[in-house]
Formats: sequence, structure tokens, C-alpha cells
Amino acid sequence: MTDCGCEKAKAELEEYLHSELSEQDFQDVTDHLENCEDCSAEHLVGLTLTLKMRSACQETAPEELKAAVLAAISTR
Amino acid sequence: MPTSVLERPSTASGIDFQAMSDEPKDTSENDLTVVESELDAVDDLDRRRGRRRSDLPPEQLRALFEEQAIPFMDQLYAAAMRMTRNPTDAGDLVQETYVKAYAAFGQFEQGTNLKAWMYRILTNTFINGYRKNQRNPYQNAIDDLEDWQLGSAESITQGRSTRSAEAEAIDHLPDSDVKDALQSIPEDFRLAVYLADVEGFAYQEIADIMKTPVGTVMSRLHRGRRLLRERLADYARDRGFTVPEPATRSKR
Repeated sequence: MTDCGCEKAKAELEEYLHSELSEQDFQDVTDHLENCEDCSAEHLVGLTLTLKMRSACQETAPEELKAAVLAAISTR
Repeated sequence: MPTSVLERPSTASGIDFQAMSDEPKDTSENDLTVVESELDAVDDLDRRRGRRRSDLPPEQLRALFEEQAIPFMDQLYAAAMRMTRNPTDAGDLVQETYVKAYAAFGQFEQGTNLKAWMYRILTNTFINGYRKNQRNPYQNAIDDLEDWQLGSAESITQGRSTRSAEAEAIDHLPDSDVKDALQSIPEDFRLAVYLADVEGFAYQEIADIMKTPVGTVMSRLHRGRRLLRERLADYARDRGFTVPEPATRSKR
């Protein structure tokens, strides 16, 4: 158990979410989140925000655009 | 409580950042100059078509490009929509990006991260060509603004139950609110957040795409996400969700 405490966890939650922490720091924050409802709730907000953005921003390029790009490339 | 983290979409390992960026890293002060020269280089390549460094004959190069680069079009179009805010400009931006990418494809080192390479061209093309036409006189100074000037407070919500309510509210908001909130934050913040959260790029990749130090990327991400969270809390309250207003918050 290497619980890092709230201060370090809160400071690193964003990097934790984005998988930017070193293996050791990642484990420390993971351990802390398992034992701290407050930080765990904070992490849930961050995670929800990311997942929501990911699903909300999906788009399909128009077929005309695909055709136009392929045409532009083939004339070069 | 979930403590999961995000799976980063698979990208080529062992990315050669030097190959992707022959410019110095700390170029935030002269972004435009760097972008200009880079795009000039692409244009120049375009003019010298047929003299690509690649060993492949043109037909095979085109087939390879179509096979590898065209599948990114939906993603690039989605990013272009968030950049330009309208389908016509987004389409133009994506098409210009593909034409430039194709012209420079002989220079692309196979095995490195093509998606990041395409995003770099997309972002440069947007910043250089489209952003100029948009009103935002102090865009370059945005990183220097204090949080209160951005209408942001250091602390958002406090307490576990409040945070649970906040997460639930965010989850239930319509997609249009999320897009509106993204459009409402400063552009450099929006790009950083989009590249990290929607596209799953690593901080170093975002630094290369945006031509800014990793520390600046982290600052933009942090401040951008905080602003987004505040805007979404506002929308949630407007829609009748119970998301208490933080006591420390400054008013815009």
C-alpha cells in the first residue's frame, strides 16, 4: 500500500486520467483513490467529462467530402 | 467508485518526434513564423511533385496514402468542426489538409504516428489560414491571463455528494451543450482539451502538434477543463439539475 494522500492525488488526477504518470505515481494515486471517497468522486467528475466529450464530438465526414478529397489527390 | 482511467487509442509505438518536428521545441513566441515556413515547405514540395524522397512510384504512393490516411477522415472532420464551427469551413479545412499531407507524404516516415502527423498539418493549416479570419485579437496572450480574467475560480465544487451530482448532470447533458461549452472556451485551451480528451494524444504529441512546451499544454488542459466544467455546471443548472454554485466562484 503506497497511498499518496489527498494533496498529491488531487494535483495529479488530470495526468492520472490521461495516463501521463509514471508507473509508481500511477500506482500511488490508484491506491489512494481506492481509499478516499472524496478524491474518487473528483476523479469520477473528470472521467465523466472526458467520456462525455468523446461521445459528443463524434462526426462522420460527408460523402461529398470523401469524394472531393479522393478526386483532389488523383489529379496530382 | 470507478477508478478506471482512459484507454489511449492505439498509436504506433516508438514515435520518432524528431522526425516529426525538425523545429526547436520552445517556439510559442514565434508560432506563426514556424507555421508559415513549414507550410511554405509543404507548398514547395507540392511544386516539386515527382521529386519525392520516397522510393515508391507515384501510383503506389497514392494507394498507400489512400489506405493509411483516408480512414482518419471522420476524426479529422470532427476536429475541424470543433475548430471552424461550421461544416463548410470544416470540409474545406479537411480537404486542404489532405492535399498538403498527400504532397508531403513521401517525407512521412513509415512506422511513425501518421495520425499525429495528419493532426499536425490540420492544426497548422487551421491556425495559419482560418484562425486569421476569426476575431480574437488577444489569442496569443491567453496563456498569460489570470484565472479571474477568464471567469474561472480555483476551486469548483466541494464535497463528495456534490461531485456525484455534478458527474451525473454532465453525463445527462445533451451533446449540443458539450459542443457549445467547448466552443465557448479560448481556442488554444479548446485545442489542447480536444487533442487530449477526445483524441487521446499524449501530452508530448500535443506539444508537437501545437508547437508549444509540454508545460504549456498541461496548463491549457488544466484551465480548459476547469472552464468547461464550470460552463457545463451552468448548463446543468439551467436544465434543472441540482449542481450547487461554488462559493469561491468569481462572476463573469
